[in-house]
Amino acid sequence: MIPEYSLGLFAAFATAAVAFYALVRETDDLHRLLLTDLVEIVTLAFIALVGTDLAEALILPGLVVGISELIALSEIYRVKEGHIHPPRKGLRIEVMDSAPLIMAAILVGYGIVLSGFPGGAIAGVGVIFYFICRGQHERFELIETASGYSWVLWIVAFFTFMLFPQYWFCAVMLAGGAILVKVMAKMSLIGAMRGGPNA
Amino acid sequence: MLSIGGQDLFVLEFGDILHYFSPYTLTLFLLAVLFTGLAIISRPEEQIEIAFGGDAYYAKETTLPEMRFRRFMAIACGLASIGAMVSGDLFNYTLFTSMVGITNVGIVAAVKNRHVLNAAYAYGIVAMIATLPLFGSAALIVATTGTLSIPALAAGGQAVPLVGKALLVLGVVGEGMAPFYAAKAEMFRAPGAPYVIMCSLSSLLIFLRVVEIVTTI
Repeated sequence: MIPEYSLGLFAAFATAAVAFYALVRETDDLHRLLLTDLVEIVTLAFIALVGTDLAEALILPGLVVGISELIALSEIYRVKEGHIHPPRKGLRIEVMDSAPLIMAAILVGYGIVLSGFPGGAIAGVGVIFYFICRGQHERFELIETASGYSWVLWIVAFFTFMLFPQYWFCAVMLAGGAILVKVMAKMSLIGAMRGGPNA
Repeated sequence: MLSIGGQDLFVLEFGDILHYFSPYTLTLFLLAVLFTGLAIISRPEEQIEIAFGGDAYYAKETTLPEMRFRRFMAIACGLASIGAMVSGDLFNYTLFTSMVGITNVGIVAAVKNRHVLNAAYAYGIVAMIATLPLFGSAALIVATTGTLSIPALAAGGQAVPLVGKALLVLGVVGEGMAPFYAAKAEMFRAPGAPYVIMCSLSSLLIFLRVVEIVTTI
């Protein structure tokens, strides 16, 4: 086996041991929830260590499973402890009033230039920043609709690859643009997590 | 090689993704389909509690949204079990197993009762930790052998590392712990019935399937 892989595997197992030891020691429910997130990251490290294209395809479902379990558990914790108060408006500083538009424009523009998955992530950060600063009195149905259509385009591109391989360039462009919108729309929802009128 | 699956009855190859039926997995698949059907048509159990020391009793109503949510979770759990039974790809199997875990958390947590929610929370933490050995094993196996397809692993010369198999079993055991926590919250004859039966069935199915996988690869 390649030495880098063994070394990485050793590091991942060591991290897992630390995380499990912390979980054994911890008794507070909320802190345990946070520690399980640590375990989740080690899981992703295990998959990422494979280091091939296949690993890239496998890491996304792994991430989705981890996040969905974390969200489900947080919801159970919230109901269990009876926290029903909506989150308060926090953090008001001047830069949050002046910067969002230009920062979001730069990040979204750069994301469109990059396109594809990293482009979507960068543009998404821009949109998150905008929503966190300005509040989200926007129309979420619109974002969700765009996200749905981009998913359809992505599938169309996928079928183009399979059925008409000669039009691969068109399919690449279609998939790149669609995944950009898809990732950006999903990430922008994070900016709305502080609650609001239509969140 | 010990084969408990028997002769392959049907193999569907779709690119890298592969599904197959052997008599063993076909039986499990039919069980999963049958119980998903039962979850679709069954009604929630009306629970009646008797006040101790008197003649009084009171009936607990299950509200429509709660019933809908529990039924949805039971059906989703059945579909995830079906997927785990037919998949011939190790990573898809682990993904379906973790989906069984998530839906089991949902089935247990659908009952709004502090006692039950505590059990659901404890189970959720176990299920989440179990994704480490589960995905870890799939990653280890693909890194050492270069494939995730179960028939290829069964036929190929590369030895699957024992630690990979052990981690896989550990992960499936962690995801399938739901009946233990449901029993701890005394749900079987009470708040969760009859949907909570999906917890037991899906755990049984994924345990039986992992035995087949570990002995085949």
